[in-house]
Amino acid sequence: MRRGSIVRLVVYGVLSGVAASLVAVFVPWLPTSASEEMDRIEFVFWFTTVICVAIFAIVSAVIIYSVLKFRVAPEDDTDGPPIHGHTGIEIVWTAVPAVLVTAISVVSAIVLAQNDDLGSNPLRISVTAQQFAWRFEYPGEPPVTSGELVLPVGQGVKLTLHSLDVIHAFWVPEFGQKSDAVPGIETTLAITPTRMGSYSLVCTELCGLGHSTMRAAVRVVSRDDYEAYLASEREGGGAGEGADDGESVFATAGCGSCHAFGPAGSDAEVGPSLDDLAGAAESAGQPLDEFVSESIVDPNERLAEGYQGDVMPNTYDKSLSEDQLDGLVQYLVDGQANGG
Amino acid sequence: MHQHEAHTPHGPTAPPRVGRRLTAAGYVRTAWVTPLFWAIGFALVVFFRWLGGYDPTVDWAIVTVVASLTTAPIGFLAGIGAFDYWVYYVAGRPTRPEDHSSHGATSWRDYFRVNTDHKVIGVQYLVTVFFFFVVAGLAAMLFRAELAQPDLQFVDPQAYNGLISVHAALMIFLFIIPAFAGLANFAVPLMLGAPDMAFPRLNALSFWLLPVAGIMMIASFVAPGGAFATGWTSYAPLASDQPLGQVFFNMGVQWAGASSIMTALNFLVTIITMRAPGMTFWRMPLLVWANFTTSLLVVIATPFIAASQFFVMFDRIMHTNFFTVAEGGYVLAYQHIFWFYSHPAVYIMILPGFGIISEVIAVFSRKPVFGYRLMALSLMAILVLGFSVWAHHMFVAGMAPWLRVPMMVTSMIIAVPTGVKVFSWLATMWEGKIRFRTPMLFAVGFISMFVLGGLSGIFLASVPIDIAASDTYFVVAHIHYVLFGGSLFTIFAGIYYWFPKMTGRMYDERLGRLHFWLTFIGFNGTFFPMHWVGLQGMPRRVADYAAEFGNWNLVISMFSFLLGASTIVFVYNIIQSWTRGPIAESNPWRAMTLEWQVSSPPPVFNFDEIPQVVGGPYEYGVPGARHAVLNGDRAPAATTREEETVG
Repeated sequence: MRRGSIVRLVVYGVLSGVAASLVAVFVPWLPTSASEEMDRIEFVFWFTTVICVAIFAIVSAVIIYSVLKFRVAPEDDTDGPPIHGHTGIEIVWTAVPAVLVTAISVVSAIVLAQNDDLGSNPLRISVTAQQFAWRFEYPGEPPVTSGELVLPVGQGVKLTLHSLDVIHAFWVPEFGQKSDAVPGIETTLAITPTRMGSYSLVCTELCGLGHSTMRAAVRVVSRDDYEAYLASEREGGGAGEGADDGESVFATAGCGSCHAFGPAGSDAEVGPSLDDLAGAAESAGQPLDEFVSESIVDPNERLAEGYQGDVMPNTYDKSLSEDQLDGLVQYLVDGQANGG
Repeated sequence: MHQHEAHTPHGPTAPPRVGRRLTAAGYVRTAWVTPLFWAIGFALVVFFRWLGGYDPTVDWAIVTVVASLTTAPIGFLAGIGAFDYWVYYVAGRPTRPEDHSSHGATSWRDYFRVNTDHKVIGVQYLVTVFFFFVVAGLAAMLFRAELAQPDLQFVDPQAYNGLISVHAALMIFLFIIPAFAGLANFAVPLMLGAPDMAFPRLNALSFWLLPVAGIMMIASFVAPGGAFATGWTSYAPLASDQPLGQVFFNMGVQWAGASSIMTALNFLVTIITMRAPGMTFWRMPLLVWANFTTSLLVVIATPFIAASQFFVMFDRIMHTNFFTVAEGGYVLAYQHIFWFYSHPAVYIMILPGFGIISEVIAVFSRKPVFGYRLMALSLMAILVLGFSVWAHHMFVAGMAPWLRVPMMVTSMIIAVPTGVKVFSWLATMWEGKIRFRTPMLFAVGFISMFVLGGLSGIFLASVPIDIAASDTYFVVAHIHYVLFGGSLFTIFAGIYYWFPKMTGRMYDERLGRLHFWLTFIGFNGTFFPMHWVGLQGMPRRVADYAAEFGNWNLVISMFSFLLGASTIVFVYNIIQSWTRGPIAESNPWRAMTLEWQVSSPPPVFNFDEIPQVVGGPYEYGVPGARHAVLNGDRAPAATTREEETVG
């Protein structure tokens, strides 16, 4: 190769590398990290990005150079030089990528080990997923159950994930960590929040009709606020199984993920609206509270027009206590009166 | 296998009388045999349920599986004539092995019959798969319209989940995989110097299973409860208690899978036993190598997805408990079995494309493929490694934690043989005499897009990054860079490359270029932003999403409509050129491989005389070099079959 060609090739490589680097730097690729684990994931991400930008620059330099330099007119019927290969260069482009991916693997394995390790005394919170809601159980005496995930800042948290029906997945983008909640298996997730604020938990495993509405609020607060939150939940909810006033049950059980209900401020459209249960009970020929209770416990018995069966879980007689069920029915019935 | 003599096909026969038309193979017979077989299936279900005292005696879910999705398709195949020869043989009636009446095509009607000519079957495949491509693409247009804005506008969540699932299932099982089978069906026997595939009737049957599978998947839209809506991965236990449409996927995969396996066996036997004299393994074109490797993958892996779908369906209709936790089922078993097929399946969906690109790059650069042997060996390396990486789809699935690092390492290493291929293509172009005809545009477009898809694959192979990125739009971007920018670009390159050979006519070069640029721009505009939209927090397979992603989704939808429109240019070009294009020369690209040494389209039995292979397939620029000697040319000395390395 002549020197001019090498210079041109290098120029194309540098230009492509700069272009790719600009895309890498100026596009907000990752959410702002809010956990130690996400900080480490970001490190692996940028480590890999640097290597990939370099490979991209080399490949595009060769492509651009070839396209500009070696293109001929369609009428040209000459052949190129009969080069069949070059053992040395083939060894190089086998060995160099092998070294690079090994480097990425080593860094990834180290970070993975660090991200799994929470130290000796993590806070343990149990997460239960169900179509289409999240429930969180906090340790302490008595334990607290809530539909909102509140975490103390700077504290390593070990989440244990369970599912009552199908596979769901826990992901808060700013925390980086993700795991499926699998029926029959307990999976765990390590998170050490570093930044106070409000985040959103989304389900990332297709779990049925309400999949895209299966979200929950996440708050990272100071240690004191965390204790205060648990105390207020204990006070409001009474002992044991969690709150049994209808409004809390409606929120905790995730009714609003699928159903519109004015008093709760939900406007989801997966299931039928709960704003005119009185009319529905009347056409079913049942007393209102009996109709509501039966529809929660056995939703496939009577289907609202335009909706199909086997979508709403039919396990609420097990997952809700009798008091909670009564409270929920009362809340829904009252909501009819208020709404007019 | 039977060797054909150089027969001419029988001329068009006189139309049979009405009575015979009812029993002769064809659509008339299909019209009554299909309902008859449906009735047999129905009767079987009712009889056994009555015998066992089950209530209700007529269970429509089971009738659907047995009668509508199993026996009726067999009836369709019997009616169309796919089994006639074998039935004659079993029944002791005279079979006519040298009767070539079902071979070759003289009018367009012959493409709608059971035909045993590999060239006709290749075209049948391609036209059929592009029909499903358009249907699946329209499904994508619909859900991109829905995703253009946050909240729900056009479709409800069930319809949305159905659209994404049917889009993916059709694109994978009814487009990419069979499109490669179609191209290879046409090209491989010609490249080998063979008169046909080893088993022409099996070949015909493999094709006719495809419309069955595809129509089954589309028909799920009219099932009560709507189309299957669990994504193409169809994870248990969600898939076990979905509406009935789910079994249309479970069974559709069986028919498409059976088609794949039969074709793969056919390719293997053809490639091993029907190479022309002198065609050693190290003289085979890389397209043949690629299909040899792919076929090995198919026959080993495809039974696993068949099993996974049967298990899910048995849980539903036979009340087995493979994935029912309360009865001791194990949910993750589904994913392990599924991905043991579906990871190799991504190589099934790209290796034949690698073969096409090797052909196109060498011919349009007028240079030998750089490092030919390493190119073939890297295909074999991908084959072997491809079976050791499946669990990288399951890093967040809750599987045994120790499995993650080994699977990460094997996934990373698979980048090495893939990189070898990319670098070798670039080296083939280096110092070549490159002509940018449409196939070459798509080939170079493929290399650049596939490099991006490969690099995002490195990110996903790294466990910590994958934990953040899995099940998000980053993954959607990655699979479309490897399957659209990868596989589909190679399919387009292959279609344009062999179009003159298949049809005897030339496509319109200007429209071809327009198609390429619209596709290239529309593709990048659609899928590149998905990378960061996903990492920032948008999960895949959601009908609704957080408002902050609204702007980018609008951009993505706009580009996706451009991408959809580019297909119109392609379809118009193909139809227009096929009917009215200028007559093509036999070798418009001045290629060396054997399919270009015969007329366009080739004679019914490909070669008037068995060719004698005397050298490598890509000896461009080597003075006096030849790949093969045909038609009475005198072969140089020393043309004995060399020692074979494989087989």
